[in-house]
Amino acid sequence: MQRTSTLANLTIHIGNTSFENPIWVASGTFGYGTEAPELVDVNQLGAIVTKSITRQPREGNPPPRIVETASGMINSIGLANIGVEKYIKDLLQIYEGLSTKIIMNIAGTDIREYVEIMEMVESVSSVIAGYEINISCPNVKKGGMEFGVDCEMTAKLTETLRGITERLLIMKLSPNVSDIVSIGMSAENAGADAVSAINTVVGMSINAKTGMSDIFTTYGGLSGPAIKPIGLAAVHKLYQQLSIPIIGIGGIVSGEDAVEYMLAGATAVQVGTANYRDPGISENIIDSLKNILNESNRNEAADLIGSVQTHL
Amino acid sequence: MIIERARIKSNRQLAHQIWEMQFEAPNIAREYMGSGQFINILTVDDWNHPLRRPMSIASSEDGCVSIIYKIFGDMTRELTQKKSGETLELLGPLGNIFSKWDNGSYPILIGGGVGLAPILNLKQACDNNKIVYTMIIGARSGNEHFIKHDPGKNIYLTTDDGSMGEEGTVMVPLERLVKINKNAFIFACGPEPMLRAVKEFAVNNDIQAQLSVESYMGCGIGFCQGCVIRRKISKIQSHSYHEKYSLVCMDGPVYNATDINFG
Repeated sequence: MQRTSTLANLTIHIGNTSFENPIWVASGTFGYGTEAPELVDVNQLGAIVTKSITRQPREGNPPPRIVETASGMINSIGLANIGVEKYIKDLLQIYEGLSTKIIMNIAGTDIREYVEIMEMVESVSSVIAGYEINISCPNVKKGGMEFGVDCEMTAKLTETLRGITERLLIMKLSPNVSDIVSIGMSAENAGADAVSAINTVVGMSINAKTGMSDIFTTYGGLSGPAIKPIGLAAVHKLYQQLSIPIIGIGGIVSGEDAVEYMLAGATAVQVGTANYRDPGISENIIDSLKNILNESNRNEAADLIGSVQTHL
Repeated sequence: MIIERARIKSNRQLAHQIWEMQFEAPNIAREYMGSGQFINILTVDDWNHPLRRPMSIASSEDGCVSIIYKIFGDMTRELTQKKSGETLELLGPLGNIFSKWDNGSYPILIGGGVGLAPILNLKQACDNNKIVYTMIIGARSGNEHFIKHDPGKNIYLTTDDGSMGEEGTVMVPLERLVKINKNAFIFACGPEPMLRAVKEFAVNNDIQAQLSVESYMGCGIGFCQGCVIRRKISKIQSHSYHEKYSLVCMDGPVYNATDINFG
């Protein structure tokens, strides 16, 4: 890919924090950001959202955990993670040495668990730029899903966490709800700085030859280009009603995809499943976004936000 | 690990539904450590199939690496259409390697189905180091074999239908031949039922064995945490979060038979 001049300004702002560019990597698709230094310069990224952390380490679900589907994949990892104590002990010092922003994704089964994790990090670290709160993992019993489908619970969790941190507080929304906008509104009214949307879409894959379900837990989370239209619609609907920034997620593999999400209303985007195929793809997407802006004589990436033309 | 767009040097059918593809991949070949390592291949450039396909390296020499693949579905069928001179994007080399095959024990190399790629690779390493070994290759039928049944050279083929070599699974010659060599060390790669049988036999008879396992992979580099196998021992390995599961792409694909559990 041709490197271009850097005429266009990619800087975006969320709350009181500025990001050098709007291209982030999504939680659970990039490990803890330290896995593949040979393949990606993480300092080029707008932010790294690290893999969901729970209070205690988690083994995750039995295999099979993943399967490719048409233009996507289904996963049911089950929040396998190292736990907050190891995160603090081993990773925060590594993040001190990075210039990219770190957003810590937190998952819990009740409000107390989210609170405990956040308090532990707040008491030691200044390196974390903010938190993304996983209230929508479809693959864990009590994996926070009951928060993500309930306005009242979302509000209560958001409000409680808002009381603990002044860092960015981003609530990650599930598409597996009847009205994503009302959940987003609850997060906004309770003090969230932003929402991110969407988490994976509940899906199933069956092998016709064997008659078996492909994933151990039967259902998993569908991701990849297959869910991009669902993500775009969610972001666009949220943008109509919310005043806080929206971070778009779902099937982003190119600069054009990032532009589409920003036109729909996203202030930033997260690249997810595409990292599995090419860990350096976000660097290409950043270059491509610059190209697109330069070619259309736009100076500011932020000018794209919400400027889609609709037929209505 | 490196991402390298590699020129296809050759792509030919070896047997029924079994093909070999050779790549000019000097950077991957330079980092290659030994039998067991694999590459993750981007078989199509579009996003209809987002994930790469992991394939064990069957040989590595003179800046080239090769794979042996079996036609399983659309993507592997697509691979057979590739012509020499075309390019594919490879990620690798990934994973760990068979070890201790050169420590004075008597290697018994066992391959089944498409799992014979690293076994042929290990055979070559033994040949190069003048190490005497026995090799057993299993298939469902004779048309899937592409090397000769040659007991005089300690090479044994088996087929489920008896159409070539010995009738039955690889266990038939294994159970017989292992008794001849007190110092046997089994190295095996193949489908899970075969590895399960080899593991059980090795563990029950107190024979050392290393197994290269297959797993469905999302990335090959530890991002997705998808390719786990159940772990038997509780020793924590570096790339898996806990004791119960091991990440095949980073901690494997080669494991001691005593360390893992199948299903």
